[in-house]
Amino acid sequence: MKVTLNWLRNYVDFNGTPEELTERLTLLGLEVEGVERLTGQFDGVVVAQVLSRDKHPNADKLSVCRVADGQGERQIVCGAQNFKAGDKVPLILPGASLPLKAGETQPFTIKVGKIRSVESHGMMCSHEELGIDPEAIGHRREDGLLILREDATVGQPLAAYLGLSGSDVVFDLEVTPNRPDLNSVIGIAREIAAVTGNPLRLPQVILPAAQGASASASVRLEATDLCPRYTARVIRGLKVGPSPAWLRSSLEKVGLRSINNVVDVSNYVMLETGQPLHTFDLRRIQANAAGLPEVVIRRASDGEKFTTLDGREHTLNPENLLIADAAGGIALAGIMGGLHSGIQDDTTDVLIESAYFTPTGIRRTSKSLALRSDASYRFERGADVQAAESASRRCVQLLLEVAGGTVSGAAVDAFPNPPQVKELTLRHDRALVVLGVEIPSETQARFLSGLGIEEVGQGSGSGSATSVWRVPSWRVDLKREVDLVEEVARLFGVDRIPSTAPRGAVGAHPFDATFDRFAEVRRILTGLGLDEAQGQTLISDTAARWVSPDVVLLANPLSSDMNALRPSLLPGLLDSLNHNLSRRNGDVQLFEIGRVFSQQNGVAREGWRVAIALTGARDPRFWSGADRDAKADVYDLKGLVEELIERLGLRGVVYARRPESTALMLESATVTLGGKMPLGQLGQLLPTLAKRYDLRDAVLLAELDLDVLLARGNSARSFKPLAAFPSIQRDVAMIVPEATTHEAVLAAVKQAKPSNLEAVELFDVFRGKHVPEGHKSLAYSFTYRAADRTLKDEEVQAAHDRLIGVFQSALGATLRA
Amino acid sequence: MSLQERLPAILAAAQQELRAAPDLASLDRAKGRFLGAEGAFTALMKELGSLPKEERPLAGKAINAAKQELEAVLTEVRGVLELKAALPKEPADFTSPGRRRPLGRLHPLTQVTDSIVRAFRKLGFAVADGPEIEDEVHCFDALNTPKDHPARDAQDTFFLDSNGRPLLRTHTSSVQIRVMEKTPPPIRIVVPGRVFRRDNADATHNPTFHQIEGLYVDRNVTVSDLKGTVEAVFKEVLGNDVKLRFRPHYFSYTEPSLEIDFTNALVRKLGKEWLEIAGCGMVHPQVFENVGYDPEVWSGWAFGFGIERIAMLCYGITDIRLLYENDVRFLKQF
Repeated sequence: MKVTLNWLRNYVDFNGTPEELTERLTLLGLEVEGVERLTGQFDGVVVAQVLSRDKHPNADKLSVCRVADGQGERQIVCGAQNFKAGDKVPLILPGASLPLKAGETQPFTIKVGKIRSVESHGMMCSHEELGIDPEAIGHRREDGLLILREDATVGQPLAAYLGLSGSDVVFDLEVTPNRPDLNSVIGIAREIAAVTGNPLRLPQVILPAAQGASASASVRLEATDLCPRYTARVIRGLKVGPSPAWLRSSLEKVGLRSINNVVDVSNYVMLETGQPLHTFDLRRIQANAAGLPEVVIRRASDGEKFTTLDGREHTLNPENLLIADAAGGIALAGIMGGLHSGIQDDTTDVLIESAYFTPTGIRRTSKSLALRSDASYRFERGADVQAAESASRRCVQLLLEVAGGTVSGAAVDAFPNPPQVKELTLRHDRALVVLGVEIPSETQARFLSGLGIEEVGQGSGSGSATSVWRVPSWRVDLKREVDLVEEVARLFGVDRIPSTAPRGAVGAHPFDATFDRFAEVRRILTGLGLDEAQGQTLISDTAARWVSPDVVLLANPLSSDMNALRPSLLPGLLDSLNHNLSRRNGDVQLFEIGRVFSQQNGVAREGWRVAIALTGARDPRFWSGADRDAKADVYDLKGLVEELIERLGLRGVVYARRPESTALMLESATVTLGGKMPLGQLGQLLPTLAKRYDLRDAVLLAELDLDVLLARGNSARSFKPLAAFPSIQRDVAMIVPEATTHEAVLAAVKQAKPSNLEAVELFDVFRGKHVPEGHKSLAYSFTYRAADRTLKDEEVQAAHDRLIGVFQSALGATLRA
Repeated sequence: MSLQERLPAILAAAQQELRAAPDLASLDRAKGRFLGAEGAFTALMKELGSLPKEERPLAGKAINAAKQELEAVLTEVRGVLELKAALPKEPADFTSPGRRRPLGRLHPLTQVTDSIVRAFRKLGFAVADGPEIEDEVHCFDALNTPKDHPARDAQDTFFLDSNGRPLLRTHTSSVQIRVMEKTPPPIRIVVPGRVFRRDNADATHNPTFHQIEGLYVDRNVTVSDLKGTVEAVFKEVLGNDVKLRFRPHYFSYTEPSLEIDFTNALVRKLGKEWLEIAGCGMVHPQVFENVGYDPEVWSGWAFGFGIERIAMLCYGITDIRLLYENDVRFLKQF
């Protein structure tokens, strides 16, 4: 909502600076989003009178004049021919600038100068130099100077002569949706009045007696649910034309275009009072049987067509409210007029509509037709049902003033069920209870009265003083006691409420511990060198389906790139890898913790995951070493996953190779607890997808169910005594078929159950020389140790030999020399 | 000079030479000079034979003791030189870059969330959470959102193609309701989390973003308490020089509702007087009634703000999209 300082001053006095007003309004809850200072038009241009006109000594076409500017006399050199001594003309003084013309970037500034060696102290102006249409201000159009009326006051600023206001300040206010009353200049003035204590001056409206006692139009209100009140007034014999300067500039300063005097008045009254009005050309409203023009307020019929004044044709349904006559719609109620019912240049008789339309009805129609206007904006937030009548009267007053005409017939006011006046009871001690500050009840009462809330009773309930307040019709937001407390707080000043140190209950919530465990997972993974990523929750359904068939789709996506909820963190991490690669960051190691979503039988579910993505170099670049160019591979990934799982205290985790590629991964394994409880997966990205994401090096991906990980993890630690006796180590290198896994070797060890075996470590895998095709050599180191004594070589050897026997029989292993 | 009289000088010379050996080869050469076939001690042993018989045992004992002493020195020096031999031969350049084991970085949003949560926790708040998939009851109805509020539009809120038309929560305030429904007062929670608005991504919008919200419900909670906690939290997060300003505003679930502006050196550097940072207010009695709390007994406040905004302010990030691209050059800066 834009409002100007000068307009506000019509209703309330405010003596402070614009900055002070900004501060006051902001602290009242009316945030000032912008302040624009308007310099007055024609600053430095005054009405002057030519005292004498003589020929220029050095030029035939110039004259040298003595001119009175109200302060004294000046010598002006002038080239115009259409004036004589005694004429009153606009004079621009040195230092002032002419208005910018189209195409100019720098205004032309007048200086004292010599023209053909005669000094000139200013310039007398033509209408073109001032950018004024002379006919629009009732003056003759002629070449040369703009000749002003004879009664013009010498020395008066030209702006004042033209009826223009001088400099002004435009405030752009953010009005919260609960305060539709503040979408009006009077509403804002009321707030200023309340906070300053200065009186609010509402416009005095006294209308001349109407011609004819009976109404000159008829109103048939059929849909009282959508339109509880409809008033109509008729003016005959007015003249449509340009608006006077004060009206035009009032509208233009707040960003409205001036159209003609009739439309401008209805807009002006809407801005002033917040009540949208509509004016119809009375000729366009068909008469009823009694010969009276009749407006019908009815629901549209299904499929009824209506063209609004912006030229768009709409197909309506019974949810839409129409203002109609016998022939059909003439306006879309509360939103926009019809193409043919509006004010024309030759309109002389008008019907002024001032009504109250219910917010839901307007919102529904405005939304379904995608049609918005200043009127619908106000109605859908809630207009003031009582203002319908007073704004209509104000509109008539101004129309008579700027467009002439006479009031015809009695006003029509269809208002079958006036709403009950709302009353609220305020316990004065609630201010202390809610706000924490003691505000005397008289002060509270003063604040509320200042806002136009009327005290209608007093009492004392439950030991505390109470008072009863009548909610004014424009305050649709005041619904219960606490709303009155808020008004008290606003006027008291929220900044004056003291701050008290935090106190009271200590909070508790089951998630509190989970939050810390997430932090622990983050600490582990950053400790392992991974950077934390945050991906989009919304991804494309195509990417989503690589990881899961049960994708949750948005009903109203913004785009096909973001039409599904991520079923996995991996597609998002791939996007991040792609983003990095396209910016030449080839070495990326990321993890993410976040929620993923799935759908089963139409029910959407969510759960927490942790995921890892690696590509490019294993280590930061270094200047020496055989491994320095090593790329991350699947065992780097496995190592990270193992470290994380171990740190979280999970046992019995099984990695099972999937026999086939998946839609995402070329080679991959499922991760489960004991082969049953799914924990996640890890593997290598399909080359086809790597290509699509423009990734060059191997891409390793892992994702684990964080909910399970934390539920099954065990952060409890207990001390085990450190080994007191020495260990004996035995190494074995054996050739086994390629398909023999490490897990199979461990299973064989478990089968052999060698006594005193403390640890098994795989330390070499080799294929090539002396290893037959389809086979590989595995080298293991076995550590034997007893807790209570030093082991003897012979007993270790016996156990170890049994173990090797099992390798040979169960794995078909051949020992290497 | 007798053999025994010469022995100490030879031993001392031998010890000195062995200890001076710079490497194993020199050590072996030195050893040869004293203990080898042509060595000084070997010569002494030979000389032993020429001594009178009664002098031989004593002299022999002396030579052997000296030899043992020399062997001990030899072993000690050899051990040291062997260790030295295992070290690189080239001198280390301590100005060369080291071989790094980089620590991963926490995402800036995580770091900011952690610092805000830490501030709340100091004041006795517990971290709470709720689902990102919500229903209209928890996201809007119970929060007193008017039936035809624009936030309920498919224009502004993402709805899911699932049973019961669930939606993605538009604010963390839905967690207030979830917690109050399940837990009797008093309540003291802080809720960080992802929220969703149907905005196209640009420099200041992303359809996904994060909010954090505090809720305190107890007996006799007032606006003064609210202001005190807000000040404590923001001093912690934005620094002790931060100044706050509260001004009336409108939210459907609080009454009175306030907006919070802050200012500090950073804001003034941006050429602003105040920057809007958070919304807050006293929990609306209707909200209490909706979750079955008696508003005459319990009162409370809620306050919340956007985490991206704080992160962008604190780190001087100008485009919100940077927070979701995961460019490692970006992530490594925090």
